[in-house]
Amino acid sequence: MNQGNGQKVGAVLVVGGGVGGMQASLDLAEAGYKVYLVERGPSIGGVMAQLDKTFPTNDCAMCTLAPRMVDCGGHLNIEKLTYSEIESIEGTAGNFSVRIRKKARSVDPDKCTGCGECVEHCLVKNIVYLDQPGRAPVQIEESVRTKADRIIGRYDGDRETVVPILQDITDEFNWLPPDVLMRVSQEKQIPLEHILRIATFYKAFSLKPRGKHIVTVCMGTACHVKGAPRIMDRLERELGIKTGETTSDMRFTLESVRCIGCCGLSPVITIGDDLYGKVNPVEAAAILDKYQD
Amino acid sequence: MEPYRTHVMLCAGTGCVSNGSFRIKETLERELKKHNLQNEVAVVMTGCNGFCAQGPVMVVKPDDIFYQLLTDDDITHLVEEHFLKGRPVQKLMYTPPAEELPVPKMSDIGFFNKQRLIALRNRGMIDPEQIDEYIARDGYTALAKALNEMTPEQVIEEIKLSGLRGRGGAGFPTGRKWELARAAKGETKHIVCNADEGDPGAFMDRSIIESDPHSVLEGMIIGARAIGASYGHVYIRNEYPLARERLIKAIKQATDYGLLGKDIFGTGFDLDVSIHRGAGAFVCGEETSLIASLEGRAPEPRIRPPFPVESGIWDAPTNINNVETWANVPDIINRGAKWFSAIGTETSKGTKVFSVVGKVKNTGLVEVPMGITLREIVYDIGGGIPGDKEFKAVQTGGPSGGCIPQSLLDLPIDYEKLAEVGSIMGSGGLIVMDEDTCMVDVARYFLEFLKDESCGKCTACREGIDVMHGILVRICEGNGKEGDIEMLEELSEAVKDSSLCALGRTAPNPVISTIRYFRDEYEAHINDKSCPAGVCKALITYVINEEKCKGCRLCAKNCPQEAITGEVKMPHTIEQDKCIKCGVCFDVCKFDAVSVT
Repeated sequence: MNQGNGQKVGAVLVVGGGVGGMQASLDLAEAGYKVYLVERGPSIGGVMAQLDKTFPTNDCAMCTLAPRMVDCGGHLNIEKLTYSEIESIEGTAGNFSVRIRKKARSVDPDKCTGCGECVEHCLVKNIVYLDQPGRAPVQIEESVRTKADRIIGRYDGDRETVVPILQDITDEFNWLPPDVLMRVSQEKQIPLEHILRIATFYKAFSLKPRGKHIVTVCMGTACHVKGAPRIMDRLERELGIKTGETTSDMRFTLESVRCIGCCGLSPVITIGDDLYGKVNPVEAAAILDKYQD
Repeated sequence: MEPYRTHVMLCAGTGCVSNGSFRIKETLERELKKHNLQNEVAVVMTGCNGFCAQGPVMVVKPDDIFYQLLTDDDITHLVEEHFLKGRPVQKLMYTPPAEELPVPKMSDIGFFNKQRLIALRNRGMIDPEQIDEYIARDGYTALAKALNEMTPEQVIEEIKLSGLRGRGGAGFPTGRKWELARAAKGETKHIVCNADEGDPGAFMDRSIIESDPHSVLEGMIIGARAIGASYGHVYIRNEYPLARERLIKAIKQATDYGLLGKDIFGTGFDLDVSIHRGAGAFVCGEETSLIASLEGRAPEPRIRPPFPVESGIWDAPTNINNVETWANVPDIINRGAKWFSAIGTETSKGTKVFSVVGKVKNTGLVEVPMGITLREIVYDIGGGIPGDKEFKAVQTGGPSGGCIPQSLLDLPIDYEKLAEVGSIMGSGGLIVMDEDTCMVDVARYFLEFLKDESCGKCTACREGIDVMHGILVRICEGNGKEGDIEMLEELSEAVKDSSLCALGRTAPNPVISTIRYFRDEYEAHINDKSCPAGVCKALITYVINEEKCKGCRLCAKNCPQEAITGEVKMPHTIEQDKCIKCGVCFDVCKFDAVSVT
């Protein structure tokens, strides 16, 4: 803070009344400064109240937040400017003038006790609609739907069935088609967001169509020290794609896996269900020819 | 069962199957029939016998003759000579590296005779798909003993006395865990067999299930009874289809025999075992993450306590043990804690299965007593380093472990000793590295693995590993700068201190241990811009040795960049500005004329 001209003003403006802003205000107020705490919303508190637990201590969010709100609310050195926004700031460090627009609240805060009677009696109400308009029924091809339904029908239960269902879908379609996932969501009454969360977490699932033959290069430690990266380079060049991609004719998909437990045969590649051990880059490229049909 | 003169134990583990052991079985049976020997010689498909590098392998009982590297064409000759005329075929036997004469007997081969089999006691001896064969080798007698002659408390006491510790990595005493699970309050309890063997370079769990699934099941039933659990789960990796198939068969057979399900052995004790297939996430090997995955939540670890023994699957007490741990249990009950605790060291009892892989002659799976030295494993069992190369390091414990240098080769292996030198036991992967392995590249490799596998919950793990990986990539590309090593060390501490689960807390180990023992390699990359092992692409050049080159043009034909020039029968040269260092010339050269500098 520039104190050169001796014009220091003993007041501080804190912008934002979330948990950080409140703690800053409290520390400053305790240190003897007059604090103006500006908050855009009608109340201080911020988003922390919406959290359950906080990392890494797993403390309950409300237990952290509430004491600070109460302290801020009652502190004589803190002037709260809620439902307000900053319009301009002028001046230099140590001597700012700030224009704040205080939005009309039409309630005298000094008299209000927070009883909520006015909300009850207001004729114009902000009603919150809890039921959503609902998703349109899933458009899905007849044959695909039969297959999807057969898979879904195999599993009874809630969210613990998602992984096995997705595995069966992968076995059937080689990837996870979006319309099938929507069907799963609809039939099992599990939010699509959760299904996608699971589908993107695990390596075994792909949200992109995959080729007829899936070429996997093992990248386990034993294979790595025996030259698996060079096999991968060679196959990438041979197929003209990068790891994780599919050739444009949908014949090959190139993937890497972290150890398939055949370390005695390293380096190892698999194509579909066939396993090839002790290969070098040249041999690996030659093996692809067997699958050109 | 019909009596046979001879049994042929043909390996049907994943390694040998991919090398055609089922095809060999058909040929063998056909040839035997041709000579009308099908009633004298029985062909048994066994589980993995460990010597994967020499597959497909077979052992002829009762003479114990070991045949290796079999092909279809060998079989006709083999059947005529061995089974018809009684003359073992020398050319199909194993010849130890430095010797000339083959060793006919399996028990005389160095790879096998230093081993002591407990968890793998039935490997290569039984058909894993036949419960009767397991029972014939004293299978399920331990269960009968535990159910009829012992109280649950006695079973737990026996396991405690034996000193068995978790074989999945951390080494928590198994008996203590069971005791906690038994004492925990809850109407239903669960036991889990953790077969999500994620450590790259370790495959003992797969092999145990493939060669002897009933030993795992029996261990689980004994454990469930001791704890009072009525639900069992096996969480198995997606990448192990054969193991899963055998386990499904085993569960069905055991249920048919009344060894699983309701009212086992008429004691009123119930247990159902279900199989859950993983979907390729390394972090699922962590207990709390595994539980989340079973329940269908996103598999992120959570804070412990409460530990799973108090609150696990659906908040019920849950006891989780690794495959190898479960497989040890029946033998301990059968033979007693005293017998088991006589094997091993002061703090680590019994045996441990290691997968000896990488730059070693006899790659495969071995079970050895705790306290054996690394030198014995690498040289006596593993047969040393191929191609007269020099040994550099052994990497143990997977991505959470570290690299152990040559100076510590005489270290006796147990949980504590490995931790002292900056590594861990882990699940038992031992990856041998020679002079051609770049330690900076190894550290980069592990961090790349962990960067992909971090679940992303803790910032320190997610971002810290990413930044460390970035620094290592830069060093490998020749753009390392002064202070990088110190920065890596500082970040390692930060990631270690502020991550929640073991994945993050041990993630820096590969970096710390390689810096500790191989700092000179890091410095060579950073200061001299050179990779002493000749691995890091940006720091190497391929050159053709004029004296060795015969001018066959093979390399020139294969070079994708057309960077190799030279006349036929004249020494070739590589135009370095065109070379992309793909190494094709090195691979195709038949005269070893291409070298890396």
